[in-house]
Amino acid sequence: MNPKPFLQIDRVIHEKGRLPIMSLLAAATDMSFTEMRDTLKMTDGNLSMHLKTLQEAGFVALAKSYRRQRPLTTCMLTPAGRKAFAAYIDLLEQIVREARGPK
Amino acid sequence: MHTDWALENLKTIRTLMERTAVYRRAMGPVMVVVGVTGLAAGALGAFLNLTPALPNVGYWIGVAVVCLLEACWMIRRQALKDAESFWSPPMRRVMQAVAPAFFAGAVAGLPFVFLRWETVNAVLLLMPAWMVFYGFAMHSAGFFMPRGFKLFGWGFVLGGVGVFAAIILGAKDGFWLSNQTVNWLMGGIFGGAHLAYGLYLLFTENGGNAS
Repeated sequence: MNPKPFLQIDRVIHEKGRLPIMSLLAAATDMSFTEMRDTLKMTDGNLSMHLKTLQEAGFVALAKSYRRQRPLTTCMLTPAGRKAFAAYIDLLEQIVREARGPK
Repeated sequence: MHTDWALENLKTIRTLMERTAVYRRAMGPVMVVVGVTGLAAGALGAFLNLTPALPNVGYWIGVAVVCLLEACWMIRRQALKDAESFWSPPMRRVMQAVAPAFFAGAVAGLPFVFLRWETVNAVLLLMPAWMVFYGFAMHSAGFFMPRGFKLFGWGFVLGGVGVFAAIILGAKDGFWLSNQTVNWLMGGIFGGAHLAYGLYLLFTENGGNAS
């Protein structure tokens, strides 16, 4: 099997905690921190840590605002994050295709 | 080399994306067109003055079908323009959410058609029921659409309850609305509400898609 796709996998996205975050943000325009935490059943600390990693990689942007006088953190994918996520999916599909072999 | 994990990851991504995807079609233009149709239908209904229950209720069921077709046509056009599927997972979820309330509303209208009441203004009695059912449908759809739809649904539910109370109180005092007024009211309430919300959305949605 061609090992090239395995080597190209983005390690920032390819992580048990971060892949669901990227998936959620790829489908929604933006999502609040609490909504994401509740959907993924993560702790505040865990989610914060993963978001920080994704933010440092330039894949996720965070916006802080106030709703009903309470702080609101909104997360969204950056264009680079969207591109990286699409590339990641392409790689996974390529791996699956190659494993199945030619038809 | 095992590749099950790749397949598993793809499945996870797909499941999460489908669960999260919010209905993204721009509803502003759709609501405006439905609103204008409703208002025009109210004016036409008042002009035609269809008194017996069968044609009058049938007329408004027809208007509802026309509005639904208009909405589907516009949504399909947007989907084609964005090279996306019309029958997307969010679209399916929205349809599943509104189906029970729409079905109940349609069934509620049937007795008025089949009983063939000539004297009672069937549309006046149906109006609050349809408002409430429509409000339920919009509120349910609101779980997969922008937040405003839930409020829009609540508006119809509360409005329907209010209209029902007004009819009961009015009937007690022997007050009854003319057929023409009822048609104006139907068009005004349904058409006016859609037009107002549609205009609001047009000014707040960004571009063609709300994404």
